[in-house]
Amino acid sequence: MIDKVAFLFAEGLKSFSRNKLTNFLCILTILINFTILGAFFIAGSNTDSLINFFRSKYTFEIFLEDKADLEQSSSIAKQLESNPAISSVTLIDKERSAEIFLEEFGEDVVDMLGYNPLPISLKVSLEKNNFDLNKIQELINALEKYDFVDSIEYRGAYIDDIEGKINLFIFFFLVLVIGVIFISIQMISNTVKLSMSNRSDFIEILQYNGASNIFIKIPFFIESILQSIIGAFIAFLLVNYSFIVINSYFNLNIQIDNFLWAWMIGLSLVIGLYASNRAMKRILL
Amino acid sequence: MVEFKNITYNYSSKSGIYNVDLNIQDDEFCFLVGPTGSGKSTLLKLLYFDFFPDKGEVNVLGYSSSKIKTKDIHKARKKIGVIFQDYKLLKQRTVYENIALPLHINGVGRKKISDLVSEALELTELSRYSKKFPHELSGGEQQRVCIARAIVKNPEIILADEPTGNLDPTTGHRILKILEQINKEGTCVIMATHNYKLITEKPYRVIELDEGRMVSE
Repeated sequence: MIDKVAFLFAEGLKSFSRNKLTNFLCILTILINFTILGAFFIAGSNTDSLINFFRSKYTFEIFLEDKADLEQSSSIAKQLESNPAISSVTLIDKERSAEIFLEEFGEDVVDMLGYNPLPISLKVSLEKNNFDLNKIQELINALEKYDFVDSIEYRGAYIDDIEGKINLFIFFFLVLVIGVIFISIQMISNTVKLSMSNRSDFIEILQYNGASNIFIKIPFFIESILQSIIGAFIAFLLVNYSFIVINSYFNLNIQIDNFLWAWMIGLSLVIGLYASNRAMKRILL
Repeated sequence: MVEFKNITYNYSSKSGIYNVDLNIQDDEFCFLVGPTGSGKSTLLKLLYFDFFPDKGEVNVLGYSSSKIKTKDIHKARKKIGVIFQDYKLLKQRTVYENIALPLHINGVGRKKISDLVSEALELTELSRYSKKFPHELSGGEQQRVCIARAIVKNPEIILADEPTGNLDPTTGHRILKILEQINKEGTCVIMATHNYKLITEKPYRVIELDEGRMVSE
């Protein structure tokens, strides 16, 4: 058994070194497709960061009426903190509001008017995970009914709209990725068919000598594994280096996944083996 | 061992083999003779399940053409050695590698392969050519490589399709002598030929085909 495996492995390596043109074509196909897929992956994962950035802005502010005292404000803050959709509540009293006013406009409102007209407010941060705009809207509607609540400022609908558009982009990206994967399968499959028809004599001789289909297929699978690893690794180097150059040239901070090489090679192996098997199934009945 | 039950196989409307009934025993040496296109090669192809009959049933070494599954054909072929007129050798492999191929397919260990290939090389008088490539050999030598490859796995049947077709008479006789020797060791040999001169005075069974029909036995 070990001898048989060693023989098949050696056969795979031999045919890889002998069939230079078909291997070159196959590696080139994988290289082109995986450069596109790698670039899509980086774009997709950075779109995710963009969504997370918007989600970090998921806050709303409750401005209380003058008649609300600190005790009532603390009570409503505690109530809100117990809500699972809310991650934290910050109470901004009149003094802190005046300080913020001073920081933002450079004027002391108390000196200007002789009294502090700014209301007590609550800054509410929402849970980013399991975010549900409808539930937040319901909560805001309920809060507006409190008699010491003056107004609530929330831009969730705009953020939701932006997120919707980003998700649409991601959807198109996914369609493109699936398209590229499909094209890769077709192209690799055709290259394997070409490679098999070039070696039809060899396959015929193996069959006449009692070789099973799996025995014939294994060297082709080994070739396919080598093509996938080489093609995807070169594609990874190309994509990685290109984004490093783009980052430094345009002074951007596009994040490159640490395991980009692993999933590119992994996916390439899956596609390569699937495409090879599909091509061989059609030829070896 | 080999049984043809009322076999009909059509290539086209005008050629094929028709209503052939035949039994061949374990240790027989048997010639299939007839002019080109008489159906000799077709009969052999039916024996190693390259073709399947349109009508009737072929039984070879316990495998039946009507029952065998595609995925099991290789099991039957492991017990059959085939010799082709055009040799069907791997051009990029040495004589040794060509002969060792069926043994690798059968999962034989490296040491045993070396012993068995040496025996086959000796029997076919090819020992000194083991490292040569097919294109460095004459037609007769290539045919002997083909024979060595067929016998190395110790098959139960040898099917030889015009093994002397491309060879001069002296080399043809030499090839036939090797096949007779293999048969003496208990292997059934079925040889298709249209070379009547080669087989005259041989004490073996002769099955004559003409236009796809058995005309004499």
